[in-house]
Formats: sequence, C-alpha cells, structure tokens
Amino acid sequence: MHETSLVRSLLMQVADLLEKHNGESVESIEVELGPLTGVEPLLVQSAFAQLAPDYGMVSTLLQIREIPLKAQCRTCGSHFVIDQFRFRCTSCSGSDIQVLSGDEFRLMNISIRPRVQEEVSE
Amino acid sequence: MTVNTVSTSPDPVDAMSVNTMSVNTITAKPIPAKTIVVGKDVLSPAKQAAAELRNEFTRRGIFIVNLVSSPGAGKTSLLEATARYWNNPQKMSVLVGDLATDRDAQRLAPLAPTVQLTTGGACHLEMPLIQKGLGQLGVIETEFLFIENIGNLVCPASHDLGEHLRVVVLSTTEGDDKPGKYPKMFRTSQMLVITKSDLLPYVPFSVEAAIHDAHLIQPQMQCITVCARSGDGIADWCNALDVARTEMLRRRE
Repeated sequence: MHETSLVRSLLMQVADLLEKHNGESVESIEVELGPLTGVEPLLVQSAFAQLAPDYGMVSTLLQIREIPLKAQCRTCGSHFVIDQFRFRCTSCSGSDIQVLSGDEFRLMNISIRPRVQEEVSE
Repeated sequence: MTVNTVSTSPDPVDAMSVNTMSVNTITAKPIPAKTIVVGKDVLSPAKQAAAELRNEFTRRGIFIVNLVSSPGAGKTSLLEATARYWNNPQKMSVLVGDLATDRDAQRLAPLAPTVQLTTGGACHLEMPLIQKGLGQLGVIETEFLFIENIGNLVCPASHDLGEHLRVVVLSTTEGDDKPGKYPKMFRTSQMLVITKSDLLPYVPFSVEAAIHDAHLIQPQMQCITVCARSGDGIADWCNALDVARTEMLRRRE
C-alpha cells in the first residue's frame, strides 16, 4: 500500500520531468533508498511493474540503490553509520544524533530519450 | 572581389554545425539518452504542503497533534479522556481517520468538533485528505487540532501531515518490544504515550523496558503513561500538550 503511493508519486514526478525536457521516453530511473524509509525495495519494484504502464513507462528500468543510515553526533562531531537503529554515537555514546542520509526515498536521476526532431535542430 | 564571394557563403561555424547535423542523421541512428540529475526526495511536494499547513496553523495559534499507533491501542479513548479532562469547547477539534465506518467520529463528536476521514482501504492519511477534512471542519478556533491517524505503525510514519507534534501511542497489551520493531515510527515521533496502564498487573509489559527501547531510537522522546478509563496520567498528558503549544507560541514571536 505504502510502496504503491510512493511509486505513484515517483512516476508522476518522472512523467512531469519527461514533459518538461520534451523527451520521448524514459530509459531508466535511479532512486536511493535508505533503511529508515520503511520502504521495501522488492515491493517498490513490484509496485513499479504494476503502475509504470499507466504512465507509458512499460520498458523503463528502475534502479534502486540501497544506502546506509549515516549520522553525525552533535556532541563530538564524529560521523558514523547507524546499525540496528541504535541512535547512539559510536565514539562518545552521545544521544544527540543528526541523521545525514538514509531516511529518504530519493529520485536521483532519470535517463530520457529525446524526441527525434528536437535533437536534429540543435 | 574574392573577399566578397567568401562573405556570401555560410560562416565557418554554421558550415560546421550543418556538417555535424548531416553526420548525425546518417550515422548515429540511436539518439543518445540524456541524463537529468534530480536528487530530490520523492515526498518533497507532500512535505512542502505539510510545512505550509504547519506555518498557517502556527500563525493561527492552533497546535496540530498527529496520533499514531497500531489498531486498538486506544487513540480514540485517549482523545475522549482528553476532551473530558479539558471540558472546554475552545480547546480541541479532531480529524479522525479510518479505512471504513464513522464509529470513531460518533464517539468523539459529542465531545469536540470532529470530522471522520475514511480512506476506503488506504493504510495511512496523506495531505489531500487532511485538506479535505479541514474544509469540512470549517473555520476552527480551537487551541488544538488532533489528527487520529489510521491504526498502523508502518506507513503513517512516512507522511508529514503538518503536525507540530507526533505522538506514538503504545498500549500495554501490545508488548514492550515494539519500539525496536518499528524504528521509523518511533524515530519520527517526539512523544510516547503508554496506554492501558490499569492492565499492567495482568500483562507481561515493562514500562521501563518500552521506554528504554524507545530511547535507543529516539533519545529525546518524552514518555507518559496513562489509563484513559480511570483518567490516570491524563492530567500529565494534557499538561505536556499545553507546554508544547506554549512553546510553539513563544517561538512564533
């Protein structure tokens, strides 16, 4: 359910980008997925397979890059990867932690095939 | 004379581009794909709408509380007890979400202005439904707006609804091991309310263990234990809400 609504938002944004850049079709979409999103990559792929045809993206490839949960300690400043969702600094055991990455489902880039006419006139 | 002849022919740059073009159309059959770099959170349009709602309500002095929990943890009972404790029509309004039925709204409507949001199967509330519900609620001038989310500890965690405070409600019958199992929900909440404290003698639930587990994920989590039926802890909960709203008003200045 959750993955479905996220994938729908993703497809709408990609469709807008395709139109804005006057493209013909979308070859591939690359997204980053962190552990704190609560989003399961396999379910994202299956939701994508189901929904992509609605947006004319039958042959579009979805590449999901899973990234670690990175954080910085506000007390000692050290950077570390959070394991097992324990939000404690690995250096000073401090608990004032800022998450730097791994809590988002990010659209990184898309690869589009431009319309033939536009390409020639450039 | 020769100079004049040259000047009528296309300038060198044009000639080159014409040349490249013809090469392209003959040899490069597949037009190379173009990469567009985005680097944006997929939820950013929804997050922006949520931030706008939060700003508007901050300006109006209305503190929005998003209540999240698994089904049956006692969100509606907590709101009933809250409304009874305050016993003041100026204090709170409610948007209550469920997949189906208006049972929760029927319980709350006698106590506070309430609108039922039914998702028809969706497992969480999103901004468009909140905006629709606010339209139905009309102009509210209460100090608090509670959004009772769909009973679900997973999906609602990813959706900012414009709240100032996210409260995760955990009942003693669910087990004290839940925070670690639903990290996103506990990480994104600022307050934990443990409900059904009257059942503590009968269930293997340790309040200390639940709070310890929650603090591993969200070290700043404020924790309150209540029993909505007896009213135990409801004063602490209501005071904590008043403090949080006062803090919002102070920051607004």
